[in-house]
Amino acid sequence: MSRFIVPNCAGIHTARSLMEINRPFEDDTTTAILQLHPRWAHMEPVALAMAAAWGAWQRRHGRSIRVENLGPNANYAARMHLFQHLGAAYAFGSAEHDERGRFLPLTQVRTGDDVRGVIGDLAGLLYLEDEPDGLAAVKYCVSELLRNVLEHSGSPDGAFVCAHRYTGKTPRVRVAVADCGAGIAGHLGQAHWDASIDDLVALGLAMQLGITGAVRGVYGTSNNAGAGLFFTRGIAKGTGGYFLLISERAGYRLRRWEQEPNVITPYPDPFDEPRSDRWRFEAGWRGTVVGVEIRTDRIADYQYFFQWMQKNARVMGPSKRRIRFA
Amino acid sequence: MSTTITLKADSGGFAENKDEARMIRTTRLLPVLDRGEEITLDFSEIRYATQSYVHVLINEALVKHGETALHLIEFKNCSQQLRSVIELVVDYSLDGFAPTATSTKVSQSH
Repeated sequence: MSRFIVPNCAGIHTARSLMEINRPFEDDTTTAILQLHPRWAHMEPVALAMAAAWGAWQRRHGRSIRVENLGPNANYAARMHLFQHLGAAYAFGSAEHDERGRFLPLTQVRTGDDVRGVIGDLAGLLYLEDEPDGLAAVKYCVSELLRNVLEHSGSPDGAFVCAHRYTGKTPRVRVAVADCGAGIAGHLGQAHWDASIDDLVALGLAMQLGITGAVRGVYGTSNNAGAGLFFTRGIAKGTGGYFLLISERAGYRLRRWEQEPNVITPYPDPFDEPRSDRWRFEAGWRGTVVGVEIRTDRIADYQYFFQWMQKNARVMGPSKRRIRFA
Repeated sequence: MSTTITLKADSGGFAENKDEARMIRTTRLLPVLDRGEEITLDFSEIRYATQSYVHVLINEALVKHGETALHLIEFKNCSQQLRSVIELVVDYSLDGFAPTATSTKVSQSH
């Protein structure tokens, strides 16, 4: 039976166990079940985006969604519009509040216009107008992740995105994008045979510069360089935040760097990162999930970050050319 | 005669619209370069841009015309972040990235 189980805490910290307890894409029934924890449901953006993408996939395959243990403890998920996307009724108090200042509710993205709409809404919804560099970092990640889905996943449902701004001592924004498309191995495998036979290899390649499934060559294509996940990973690490990537039967997580606020050196190869995890799953995720945490108080030198990226990207040619800047 | 294209961003000075970049490349940038004429890309309305946006805008011109494109294109009013992204895209468009070797490391997974 297709069952998506949400434990009492479902987020980047618990991504591995979330994947291990779930077999959400069993195909043998007419009903799909979202099983919430009976007493407490702490769902972070990554879990919400996954649940919404999973629900869209199930509904497209003719299954209705039943939610178990639905109650007032799911009010946050309701405010994030999860149950609207699942086609499930929520009748436990007022779910509608003004979302400005805290979060971007779950949004389905199918077109470039949808991407522009989400990007345009971020400043107002997350109240980051006074932190332009932090806002730019969030926009950067959201844009790259959503356009990756539209251009590479082949998912008829597109992507589901949501974000939450956490204030206080460690101000941060968590963003998640999930789809049920071809998956990274399915895309990269068109050009990289090693990606097609091992999901973890595919993840490692996807997070490096210059890897695209469109063409195996030094340039990518005129429309794709294959660098979006590298920069997104770099922004997360550069601010000391999390980066999570799950696709098919593999997962990768870059953990926080609490003690070194100025660390801004993502390794070219993500498997060289000392504070990283890599997992293989028995069931896996049909498609791709990305979760990013950006510490907005540590993005003060956004310009420097890109200078670093430019200097350290493993480009083969000369680093200084006569580019005419005026 | 030199052509100038003023590039657009959203209200926060952020440029990520690859569809628009693709349209500018195919309808305005490449035809000018194909004629061997100079062109100015004016970034005065852009403070931040994604690498993908810059890639879609100029990669094909660099691949097609090589270093000649750098003689014909002027990048105007670029922030430091934009300069870094443009330098990166120029470098890998003309020379490519170094080869990678991931598959030997995945056996350490658990």
